[in-house]
Amino acid sequence: MSGFKTSDRVTGRSTTVFLVCVIGVAAVGYCVGVSDGVPKSDSQLSINSIPAEQGGERSADARPVSVNGVEIPSIEATNYADMRRSEEGPTSHWKMGLDQIPQPAYDLLTPPKPTPEEKLQSTRIRATRRAFNGAPPIIPHAVERTSDGACYACHGKGMKIGDQVAGQMSHGFLANCTQCHAPPPPTPFADVDASVASNYVGLPAPTQGKRAFPGAPPTIPHSTLMRESCLVCHGGKTAWSGFESTHPWRSSCTQCHAPSAALEQAPSPAEVDMLPGLRVIDR
Amino acid sequence: MDADRRSFLKGAAMAAASAAVAGQQETFALPIVDQPVDADGGVLWNKAPCRFCGTGCHVQVGVQDGRVVAVAGDKNADVNKGLLCVKGYHVGSILYGKDRLTKPLLKKEDDYVEIEWDEAIDIVAKRIQDAPEKFAFYGSGQWTIPEGFAAQKFMKGGLGNNHIDPNARLCMASAVTGFLATYGVDEPAGCYADLDECDVLITWGNNPAEMHPVLFSRVIDRRSRGEQVRLIDIGTRRTRTTDAADDFLLMQPHGDVAIALGIMHLLIEDDSYDKDFVEANCAFRSPQSEGPTLQGEAISFDEYKTRIAKYTPEHVEELSGVPADKIRMLAGLFGDRNLRITSTWCMGMNQHTMGTAVNSLVHGVHFLSGHFGKPGDSPTSLTGQPSACGTVREVGTLAHALPGGRLVAKEDHRTQCEELWNVPAGRINPVPGYHTVKMFEQFTKSSADGGDIDTLFVQVTNPGQTLPNLNKLFNDKKNLKDKFLIVAEVYPTATTVLADLILPAAMWVEKNGMFGNSERRTQQWFKMVDPPGEARDDCWMTIAIAHRLMELGHEGMKNKDGEFIFAVQDEDGNEVPVWEWEHYYDVNVDKAIFEEYRHFTTMKHKNLAPYDEYVKARGLRWPVVEQEDGAWRETKFRFAAFDDPFVAEGRDIEFYHSTSGDGRGQIWFHDYQPPPEVPDDEFPLWLCTGRVLEHWHTGTMTRRVASLNRAMPTGYVEVHPDDAAELNVRQGEVVIVESRRGVCELPVWIDGRGKPPRGTVFVPFFDETKLINNVTLDAHDPFSKQPDYKKCAARIRRRSMEVSQG
Repeated sequence: MSGFKTSDRVTGRSTTVFLVCVIGVAAVGYCVGVSDGVPKSDSQLSINSIPAEQGGERSADARPVSVNGVEIPSIEATNYADMRRSEEGPTSHWKMGLDQIPQPAYDLLTPPKPTPEEKLQSTRIRATRRAFNGAPPIIPHAVERTSDGACYACHGKGMKIGDQVAGQMSHGFLANCTQCHAPPPPTPFADVDASVASNYVGLPAPTQGKRAFPGAPPTIPHSTLMRESCLVCHGGKTAWSGFESTHPWRSSCTQCHAPSAALEQAPSPAEVDMLPGLRVIDR
Repeated sequence: MDADRRSFLKGAAMAAASAAVAGQQETFALPIVDQPVDADGGVLWNKAPCRFCGTGCHVQVGVQDGRVVAVAGDKNADVNKGLLCVKGYHVGSILYGKDRLTKPLLKKEDDYVEIEWDEAIDIVAKRIQDAPEKFAFYGSGQWTIPEGFAAQKFMKGGLGNNHIDPNARLCMASAVTGFLATYGVDEPAGCYADLDECDVLITWGNNPAEMHPVLFSRVIDRRSRGEQVRLIDIGTRRTRTTDAADDFLLMQPHGDVAIALGIMHLLIEDDSYDKDFVEANCAFRSPQSEGPTLQGEAISFDEYKTRIAKYTPEHVEELSGVPADKIRMLAGLFGDRNLRITSTWCMGMNQHTMGTAVNSLVHGVHFLSGHFGKPGDSPTSLTGQPSACGTVREVGTLAHALPGGRLVAKEDHRTQCEELWNVPAGRINPVPGYHTVKMFEQFTKSSADGGDIDTLFVQVTNPGQTLPNLNKLFNDKKNLKDKFLIVAEVYPTATTVLADLILPAAMWVEKNGMFGNSERRTQQWFKMVDPPGEARDDCWMTIAIAHRLMELGHEGMKNKDGEFIFAVQDEDGNEVPVWEWEHYYDVNVDKAIFEEYRHFTTMKHKNLAPYDEYVKARGLRWPVVEQEDGAWRETKFRFAAFDDPFVAEGRDIEFYHSTSGDGRGQIWFHDYQPPPEVPDDEFPLWLCTGRVLEHWHTGTMTRRVASLNRAMPTGYVEVHPDDAAELNVRQGEVVIVESRRGVCELPVWIDGRGKPPRGTVFVPFFDETKLINNVTLDAHDPFSKQPDYKKCAARIRRRSMEVSQG
């Protein structure tokens, strides 16, 4: 999954940072050029490589560099060997900046018009992230910070930037995200072949609930365990295209859409018991 | 078996035949179906405990067309309340690895040939018949309760041979000896409800965020609800548990012993110990200076005070590396009677050459401070396997034990078992058999040198990967032609590599089963799908071997009345030939065995309910006691009058199996001893081994699950950045980790998931292609015989250095 689209403002700032880095690398690289490139801790790395305005702190031993007699303040450079895929890596600074990116306005009152094609496409994408219907989705993007705060930065309220969607959590706050959601491999082992030989076939996602008659509200075809917030998938800015409710302004979903007692793990006898029927005898 | 179960299974079996569609699945991505799937009617859901750790979560298993297709957390289960961990959610796919073993395989030179079950059973029975005393049975905390009981009865009640021991010896034997030394009887007093009530949770060398994630969430999710829980992590490296901790106390290996002693010293010095609790409920004890035993000898309180006086915070700081003010902080918490303090521990305190001692000392800290016997105030050991408690500790599948907390060395215990089993008096051998380390020593030593175990049957475990010091305890088998290794397994493993005979086993919901989890909860499930090919239940294997031995004329396979020791009758009282696989599920063999076992459990007040009660429940915590109205009541808090029915009238707390015979628990004094091997100039690093969230133990199951393997595809060595700099090794570089005992090649992970301090490296043991147990030490606790996998001296070499040095 690719990263978020960058806005012009961010690009401009990145250019400045980049130029400063180039100068820094040139100067400091001379000093450390003979080093054999032993890596440093990721935590040291990340602090040095995040510009101060993004929340990182300047390293205490960052020293001004003199170029043609003019002192230029610099951020301490990291040598190339240290610029490996950092553990704090691709998502390390998301928390600092992303929540400030303006979100598209969501018009609650314009009914979406989901198409079967969109629905199929969304079902396909969802299926690549779940071993079976109901499994907690794996984390499809690089992530190294596994504290709940890092996940919550984007997935707390959900985000949409361009085509990229960070879905809102469909369940209440649970503090240990990677307990259930499996991350991609640790960056040092990202290239290890992790394929397995398995015959396992998971339960496919249902494509629709049952309707008693055309136009009747469909039943909920899946369990709502860990999926208590219907609008996370079925409405709102982070909904799956094709899954949207045609009436997102209505928020009491189970008023009309009946869940399944069996899937909800509610008491559900094999047969629904009724009182014995009336005995009607001939007159 | 009732009609519903029968038709369910029949339907499942028929569906399985038509379910070969699964073949071409390349990834774990779901196939997109064209027609809607009727999620309401097409999937049959049933309860089962998770196959993995000792937490004992209940899952709902979704079966469609004879195959497990989905898993959900069981909302009605008290243990996990609908939540699972990433392993638990994917437990269904462990059945479907492409390389499942489906035929008995006999070694022929370097290859294997497929043989029929009949021949396989014959081979095993004849090996045993030839030399019954040279046969050993190595089992598991993953044995179901009936499997363990069958193996136990077969060995001790049938062969009169005590060489049966489980892998749990490597896992929680020190917790057992700690409980025995302290309470006089095994297993925790509290339960998981303590986690809902505690104000302070102390994790002693324990990383529940990864090893018992559902229990960990149960605590830290309380914070999300606005509750205050102070988490104190004591460990030798930073882990994910540390991320959530309020305090992290980095200790030197064996520092836990000193910390516990230091807290007790301060409780006495500050006069903040709970005088009423100690007066009413405690006695003091210490190991004898000559020939120490598990029971030790009584000492006076004054003697205890004198001995503990030297463990001042400053001295403890020297021994443990934990600053003196942190020891004072801990003592301050324990000295506060208004707090509820729960301690948890797992392998850190158990895989320890002072394992029994440190377990006893932590219990002692809770006793001395009175933090015991109230919800949330409890010292609790967590187990790593789903039935380490149920099968190993309660059924007693250990070389020295008999069912229900009995010992082979005690004549009255043997007599009771012989009577319950209806076998002739004197059938049970009074001499304890070989514990795990000794068993493998004797098996991998040539007969000429006194290696007197020549046939070893391994069920439901993988010693070729989990034994310490594999070069000493396992790998030598390769060159011993007269030794015969039989392995019942579901997949090829590091153990089957040296197997002479491989028996394909059924697993998890492919068979009926019962487990017992960490909180004394006994759980039951039914078979839901058929095992693949000719894979069969481990319990059936034991019974079939026993029956063949009887046919070969072994008298031990008959009871006093000349009947087969595993005779099972149907409802009409007719014997069912359960040793024939086609008839094994004609009756519920699990139920028959469990009903026999149940009568062993009352002596130590670990009463179990009838089988059918467990069918209805999501597990019940023993003692389960019948009420006047015929209902069966479980017990959450043992030894506490408000909940435990066996506490004598008039007492708040009673340890009714007290070593001192007066209802008191024992507060132990043990002197600190240094670890058996410490880093030196030649081997300058501490090596610690352990586990990760995504993989379970040797990875036999989880490494065949796509999403888990994706998350953690390889074993590794965690290295501190400064050590990496000094060693000149790079992120991801494959290095050689070596000790005096062996080597293991591993990629480096600097600042990995866990963060060891300078001078310490950590290696998880799940990867069968990178066997860190070639490097670990086989030194073990003198009482529990549990080896110490958590600390030994090692060094790291670059592979390039090896090349340049030729």
